[in-house]
Order: sequence, then C-alpha cells, then structure tokens
Amino acid sequence: MSAEEIVRLEGVTKVYHMGKVEVQALRGVNLSVKRGEFIAILGPSGSGKSTLLNMMGCLDKPTSGKVFIEGTDTSRLNDNELAALRREKIGFVFQQFNLIHTLNALENVALPMLFAGIRRTERMKRASELLQKVGLSHRVYHKPMELSGGEQQRVAIARALANNPEIIVADEPTGNVDTDAGNVIMGIFERLNSEERRTIILVTHDFDIAARAHRKLRMTDGALL
Amino acid sequence: MGIFTLALGDLRERKARSALTMLGVAVGIAAIVALMSIGFGLKYSVTSQLTEMADTIMVMPGRFTQGRGYVMLGGFNERDLHDVKRISGVREAAAMFSAVKDVEHRRERKLFEVVGIDPKETHAVFGKIVKEEEGRGLRESDHKTCVVGHSIAKDLFVHEIGVNDRIKIAGRTFRVVGILEKQGGFRSEVDTQIYITKRDAKEIIGDEISMIFVRVRNIEDAERIADEIEERIDENHKIEDFTQALTMGSFIRQLEELFKILQAVLLAIASISLIVASIGIMNTMLMSVMERTHEIGVMKAIGARNRDILTIFVLESGIISVIGGILGMLIGVIGANVISVGLGSAFGIEIPAILHAEVLLGGLAVAVITGVLSGVYPAMKAARMSPVEAVRYE
Repeated sequence: MSAEEIVRLEGVTKVYHMGKVEVQALRGVNLSVKRGEFIAILGPSGSGKSTLLNMMGCLDKPTSGKVFIEGTDTSRLNDNELAALRREKIGFVFQQFNLIHTLNALENVALPMLFAGIRRTERMKRASELLQKVGLSHRVYHKPMELSGGEQQRVAIARALANNPEIIVADEPTGNVDTDAGNVIMGIFERLNSEERRTIILVTHDFDIAARAHRKLRMTDGALL
Repeated sequence: MGIFTLALGDLRERKARSALTMLGVAVGIAAIVALMSIGFGLKYSVTSQLTEMADTIMVMPGRFTQGRGYVMLGGFNERDLHDVKRISGVREAAAMFSAVKDVEHRRERKLFEVVGIDPKETHAVFGKIVKEEEGRGLRESDHKTCVVGHSIAKDLFVHEIGVNDRIKIAGRTFRVVGILEKQGGFRSEVDTQIYITKRDAKEIIGDEISMIFVRVRNIEDAERIADEIEERIDENHKIEDFTQALTMGSFIRQLEELFKILQAVLLAIASISLIVASIGIMNTMLMSVMERTHEIGVMKAIGARNRDILTIFVLESGIISVIGGILGMLIGVIGANVISVGLGSAFGIEIPAILHAEVLLGGLAVAVITGVLSGVYPAMKAARMSPVEAVRYE
C-alpha cells in the first residue's frame, strides 16, 4: 500500500438477510482511493452504492473482505476504535441531512467535537467558523426545522468537517435539495477538495453531479464496473 | 451545549410524557416521605409520653397467665414498700391503694377508680408530667380531700366538678382541692381516677397496697432493680412469682420494636408505587430509545462512542428522577402535614408529621438510583445499536 493510498477495499462482500431472503449487496468489491481524490460512485438505486459508502465510512462491517483506512485493517478494530476512526478521520454527509433537530445549527456542528472531548469554548468557536465557511453565519442559532434543505445540508457539511477529517463520504448529498442549492453544495465539496486537499467520495445517481468528480465509478448489482 | 443539554433537549421535546413520568416518580417518593413521616409522628406521639417515664418500674401483685390475662393475687404490705425503698438504685417508691368506688356528685352516682397515695410520695407516681390544672395537690395534713382527674371533673358528670365542690366517695363526703390536667394517650387512665390521701384510703379502700410505683436513679439499672424487687417481695410473702415488676424501659423497647415493623410495612407499601414509577421510567426510556433510533445512528456515524450514547440516556432518566424526586419530596411534606391534620381532626389524636432529613435525602437518593437503574437497560440497548441499521431506521 502506497503512502498516497487512503482507503482500500479488498474483496468486500455484504449479505443482508431480509427475513428468509438473502440479498447480496456487495459482491467482492476491490477499490483503492488515493489521498486528495474526488470520486463519484454512480449507479441506480439498489445497486449497492450506499452499502459500499457505509463500508468506507466504517459504519458497516463487510461480511467478508477487508477495508483499510490509512493502512489500518478496520476488521481488527472494536466498536470504540471504529467510533474514534469515524470521529477523527471521516466526515459523513447524508442525503436526509440527519441533523439533530433539538439542537440549533451551531450545536449540531459542535456535536462531533463534544464526542471528541474538545473544550466547550473551543467547540463553539470552531463550529461558528465552520458555519461561516459554508456561508451560514447568519443562521447559527436556527434549528434545523427553520432552515431550507440546502441550508440544512450545508450545516451537515460543516458538521462533517468538525474534527477536521481527511475523508468526506457523502451519500446523495444533493438528492433532497433543488438544483441551485445542489450547485452550492457541490461548490463546497470542490473547494474542500481543491483548496484543502480532502478526499471526497460521493454517491449519486445524477450524471451531472458525478461529472464534477475526478474519477467516476459505476456500480450495478453490488459490483464495480 | 454538552451531553447534559442534549439529554435535557430530548426531555423538552416530549414535555407531556416526561412530565407524566416525573409525576410517577414524584408520587412514589411522596408516598414514602409522607408515610414515613406519619410513622415517625405516630411513634413520637406514643413514645414521648412514655420516655418521660422511662425510669419507672410498676410493681404489681399478680401474674400474667395464659388465657386468663392478668390475675391479681392479693396485695402488698408496708414491709414490702419498706424493702423496695431500701434496694440500691431506687430513688423513690410510692404505694398506691386503689379500688373502684361509688362516686356521687349532685345526686349523680357513678363508679370510678379511687386511688390512695401518700402525699409525700406523689412525685414518684406523677413525676413531672401530671400537674394540677386547677387548685392544688394533696397535702399530708389534708383530711377528706381529693384531687380529681380531668375527664371526671369536666366531662363525665352532668354538672362539672370545680375546686372546693364536695363529692361523696363511698358514702363519705370529700372536698375537691384540685383538678388534674388532661393526660390522654398512654396516661389517659389518670383522667378517670380520683386521688385521695393514704390515710383516707385506709378507711375506704383498706390496707392492701395495689401497686408500688418505683423510680430508679439510673435507667440502665431498671432491669436489675426490677428483678431484685420481685425476689424481695416474693420472699416476704413466700410465694413464687407473686410479684410482677414491669420496667417502662422494656415496655418502650417492645413498642419501638413494634414501630420498626410498622415503619417497615409502611415503607413496603410506599415502595410499590416506586416500583410502578420505575417501570414507568423504563417504559418511557424504551420508547424514547426506539423513537430516536435514527438519531442514535446519526450520532454514532459522526463519532459518538457507545459510552456517549449510554451517558445521554442514563442522564435523561436521571434528570427525570431527580426532578420527580424533588417534586415528590415537596408533595410528601405537604401530604404528611395534610394527613397529620386530617387524623387530628378526624380521630382527635395528635400525630405530628415528623420529617427526618434522612427520609427526605433517602427518598431523593432512592429516586435517583431507581431512575438511573431503570434507564440503564434502555440506554444499553441504545448504545449497542449497529450504527448503519440505526441510521437506516426511519
């Protein structure tokens, strides 16, 4: 594994059991992602692209095969170590934004830092800087319900950046927002990639969105083409 | 914002449910606080009178037999009294001559217990707690005078008896020199007795001493002195088991044992509501965990450890129980006082609500422990969720 390689998947399979039915979500995926890459995974719904993303984000464990993050074999990590990995190395952006609706924008962004044990004043300072970075310094104290879809997704991106991760994984980040908001969001991702050299892996079924990535991978029936 | 605000925010989200769960805890704690306070009050109202008499030994001729209760076996004599007074550790001893006699006041006749005592020895019998309400006590120089118990004077005759009134006891005229204060409770028998001098008693009751009242110097010696009294008098009369010397201390101890049982029963009853409250907390927390499965997944995805999730939920049930506990303490204090006043006016017994800090703090501690324990299982369930399945859960 080269020093430039940040994520590697070796023969990753995933089998789900839906009642008595076995679903093969991933059928032996091999993938290598280099530091600073901007990758789009394209595929129809049910193709297994979200499952693949969850593997890379250490949210899910493969049925067989291995996932390496910065050379670390994640199958050897326990729950706490995986949580630490998600907290420090990976930033998650979901299609449904998934903000905590009882918390305001600032508190949402500060949440991963709370779990990282960062002091309150520092959490709040960095959270407001991040909100400024995604152009939401005027919405700091708004609850998610008081924000538009695009704004919520920008809060979610700010949250993903909270602990300064090298990898951003995004699952259909523009899937629930209008085209303009989608453009703004993609702009942010592009900046994070080009200016801050963060590795971006996003999943989409939208060709226009995928076109803005450096590398496009296609997925069907649980396998990369 | 910290973990605490996070937990508090969730409670605020579900105001009604949180409030109802808190109320459940509050009722449980209130029941404990109120019942315990009333229990302590009951114990106090009974034992406080008795504790003042803890140095007393009552010596009676007779014995307790199975089936027939207490059987009187004649009486004591002056020699017995003399011997009792000489036992070391005895501070004072008084003989009582008593019999039920016919009492007439303004042509109304009733039967009452008439008690003869030596005016010098009144203190041994009455101690500091029985006092005259009106008039004075008996004097050695008195002849045909009496002191009347409160109920006889005030309630039991159509016409109230006053100081200087003349009443007839067993056909002989006595002048009332004093009326005793109302005793009630464990000394209520005093309220229906008439006291005359030993000299007068010999005339209308006889020479046999019905009871010897002994006061000891040290309460610790009471049991030993009681044994010695029994031995000495039994020897005088050459009858085994003739004398019963009852220390008030042993009586109080028996009562206290009884109250311990009563307290335990009250606590057990109150605990039932606490168990219900704890089930309520667990139910609320399980629902909360289920409803927030998705949120738990999100928090895990952004790096929350199992411990963080556990903390949030345990803290949440902790907050419920602390607020419920404090509320319960307040309701309990109010409730205890209401019960106290209610019992007072309904049954005429004075039972104060006695609030021990230990009960209040103990109640709060029990609330918190219950809350946290009931929260642990749901919280562990939340903490162990697989992040990906939790995120996918809608």
